[in-house]
Amino acid sequence: METLLLTQVINVVYEVLILAIIVLGLAVVMGLLNVLNIAHGEFIMIGAYTAYVVQKSGLPYVLAVPAAAGVCGIIGLVVERFLIRPLRYEPFETLLATWGLGLLLRKLVELGFGRGYRSVEIPVVGSLNFFGEAYPTYRLVLMGVSASVLAGLFLWYRRAPTGARIRAMVGNPVLAEAVGIKTRELARNTFVTGTAMAGIAGVMIAPLTPVEPFMGLAFIVNSFFALVVGGMGTVAGLFAGAGIIGGLQSVLSATVNPTTAYLAMLFLSILFLWQRPRGLFPRP
Amino acid sequence: MASFLVRNALILAALVLLPLFLGEFWAYQLGLYFLYGLAALGIGLTWGQVGILPLGQGMFVAIAAYLTAYGLFGFGTSPMAYLVLPAASVVVAVFGFAFAALVFRGRFEQGPSFSLMTLALTLAAFQIANGWSSVTGGFNGLRNIPGLPGLDGFLDLYHLIAVVLALSIAGVDYLVRAPIGVLWRAIADNERRLAFLGYDVALLKAAGFAVACGLAGLAGALYAPQQNLVTPDLAGFAFSGDLVIFAAVGGRATVLGPVIGALVVGVLSAELRDRFPWWEIVIALFFILVVLRLPGGLMTLFAPLRRLSLGRNAVPVPLEAPSKPRTASPLSVAFEDVRVRVGDVTILDGLSVRTGEEAVLCVIGPNGAGKTSALNVMTGVLPKRGGRIVIDGLDVLRPEPATVAGKGVARKFQTPSVFPKLTIDENLAVALWAGRWRLFDLLRPSLFGWTSPLLEEMRGRFQFLEQGGKLASALSHGERQLLELTMALITEPRLLLLDEPCAGLSHEETSAVIEAIQWARQYLNLRIIIIEHDMELVRRLADRVVVLHQGRFLADGSIEEVQHNPEVQAVYVGGSR
Repeated sequence: METLLLTQVINVVYEVLILAIIVLGLAVVMGLLNVLNIAHGEFIMIGAYTAYVVQKSGLPYVLAVPAAAGVCGIIGLVVERFLIRPLRYEPFETLLATWGLGLLLRKLVELGFGRGYRSVEIPVVGSLNFFGEAYPTYRLVLMGVSASVLAGLFLWYRRAPTGARIRAMVGNPVLAEAVGIKTRELARNTFVTGTAMAGIAGVMIAPLTPVEPFMGLAFIVNSFFALVVGGMGTVAGLFAGAGIIGGLQSVLSATVNPTTAYLAMLFLSILFLWQRPRGLFPRP
Repeated sequence: MASFLVRNALILAALVLLPLFLGEFWAYQLGLYFLYGLAALGIGLTWGQVGILPLGQGMFVAIAAYLTAYGLFGFGTSPMAYLVLPAASVVVAVFGFAFAALVFRGRFEQGPSFSLMTLALTLAAFQIANGWSSVTGGFNGLRNIPGLPGLDGFLDLYHLIAVVLALSIAGVDYLVRAPIGVLWRAIADNERRLAFLGYDVALLKAAGFAVACGLAGLAGALYAPQQNLVTPDLAGFAFSGDLVIFAAVGGRATVLGPVIGALVVGVLSAELRDRFPWWEIVIALFFILVVLRLPGGLMTLFAPLRRLSLGRNAVPVPLEAPSKPRTASPLSVAFEDVRVRVGDVTILDGLSVRTGEEAVLCVIGPNGAGKTSALNVMTGVLPKRGGRIVIDGLDVLRPEPATVAGKGVARKFQTPSVFPKLTIDENLAVALWAGRWRLFDLLRPSLFGWTSPLLEEMRGRFQFLEQGGKLASALSHGERQLLELTMALITEPRLLLLDEPCAGLSHEETSAVIEAIQWARQYLNLRIIIIEHDMELVRRLADRVVVLHQGRFLADGSIEEVQHNPEVQAVYVGGSR
């Protein structure tokens, strides 16, 4: 019984960490730049397809990480130049434009790969004995990687000068420009980083989920509402959102059923959008 | 009125006669796209006019479709089945109204919050429709829904749908031209200004959204007998997205645009989707192009045609606006130990001050003294942390812009706040209607003819107001100041709050404003509170001067008394108290 409980706890931690990694790219784009990138899920989807191609070509799975980051980063670069920048990073206009972008990317992938499911094999097979309970090794690897990526990013954002520049740009773009911060490049790099992160998240989750052109929709819904609940532009908001949405989903899925878990998340999000639209830990 | 009838009769004739040229198969196909057009028509209204984008209209289509399906199962061939259609539409309209009124209550925003709530709602509705098999039939939906009694074949139903669509287009066309249409566009333009004129912005927005939901409901109600099948897909993310795309591609700012968008995209998709796999990529690219470059959508192409159209809108007949009840006394205001903090900054630090016998009270004080903040806390822009604000003897616990305006308080802001995308006449009309309209007045075009002696007086004083068709955005800064002052005055307030009314005005304009204020105080028997740095203006207008410093009352009296007060002198020459 106790080991079963332990497995459950690990499962919740796993769900939360995975959600945090999935949200990360959107948190960067939405939290720092105020761009509601509805096509975030499609970048994850493209990352997953990149992983599929890399695996099919017989290359080591680890290579999918730089490949997906590259592919999604380049798409992000083009999107920033021709879509986001012309719309001056306005939240509402970019929401609409990326809505169309999501549609476009889904259809392009559908044209290239067809509608059917593709499966990506789990690169690290086997399971580890974890306090007398077998747990899939790949999941443990994922948890480790996610935790270290998140921790690293957190430290970097706090310590590195780029983090300070981004905070300055977000706080007051005109003043930031005046003190010599190249806001245009900085915003572009931030956006591209966000899309590349989405690609990497796609590589990480590809072996665990059917890969198909519409897979992104589920991710955008979860990550979007995690940010709504947590609050945008803060690290605490990212963790709180992923914790609450991921934890709620995981616990309710296990105890009741996944549909109830999904509905609970939606109603919680509606409640937050209504009563606390800036989330639990908004940027001051 | 004549052009309105001609236009809509032409649309009706075109829609009804179309199948004569196209045949029965197309009657079925077009009937479906007309229903999509009906739902998109509502999106055009809320998005293009009111400025709020609903992302989940599919949910309202779906609810009405399920309700109608049950109605048709129940009534069978009884003519009562026809009552089901409007009933289903009304049910979802009421639901939409209640939801929007609740959400919009007490806050100003047109950000994506509301859009995302509607998206979350439709995602939830899809899950429920999918999972609740005993009622909705689950994934497969409700099948074999009977058609409407007495209608035989697709052509009959087509005609019903065509008539409903034509009447709906005419209805929306009427609404956007009626006074309520001007108020909706005023919301999209500057909803705070509207609230400060005393309008209940939340209810107006909810009304617009309810019309859109009612139209989505009609579409759903007709969808059930047209398709004989209702599935959860109607509540799906993709269908709601398609409706938004129809409205955007067709042109959301016009009445017909969303319908044309639904028809063009729908018909072309049906024709080309199977032959060209990349067809939907073209649609997605075109949608992105519309967002980037072509906010008017396809209707932009027809814009040159509109200049040719017959019969311009007739000039409304001038009509005396209903007069406001005159009260014996101006409004009195008392601040008692009012405290306001924002973050760590103390803005008002126990301010106590009250109006007396004077008609014009000038508030002066160095920058940061809390002058504008005092007006803000009184009109509900800033929350107070303590103390009491007593307006006309009543302790106002939580002031809100519209309720304070309802008591007879008009406010003119430091930077002029008008409706830039409305014409001068529309700006004035919105102000003139405030507090004078009664239920159903907002549907009467005759309101455009309303005028009042005060308005005529102002038109005489400020000549530019005669150019009624000019957009307010085309006015100079000074003219916008004068327009806003006029708007505040013609609401015939009992208390007028003016925040640096002459900032940025030329010498002549300043004189004109001073004369207008002096005239108005005689004519209206009102009280005026003016925040001003210009001592010349204070000297000419003030009956009494109040000096604020660091969020507190410092001194009051006549201008001479205040100027000779050593404490005031210390503050103004930079010494500390």
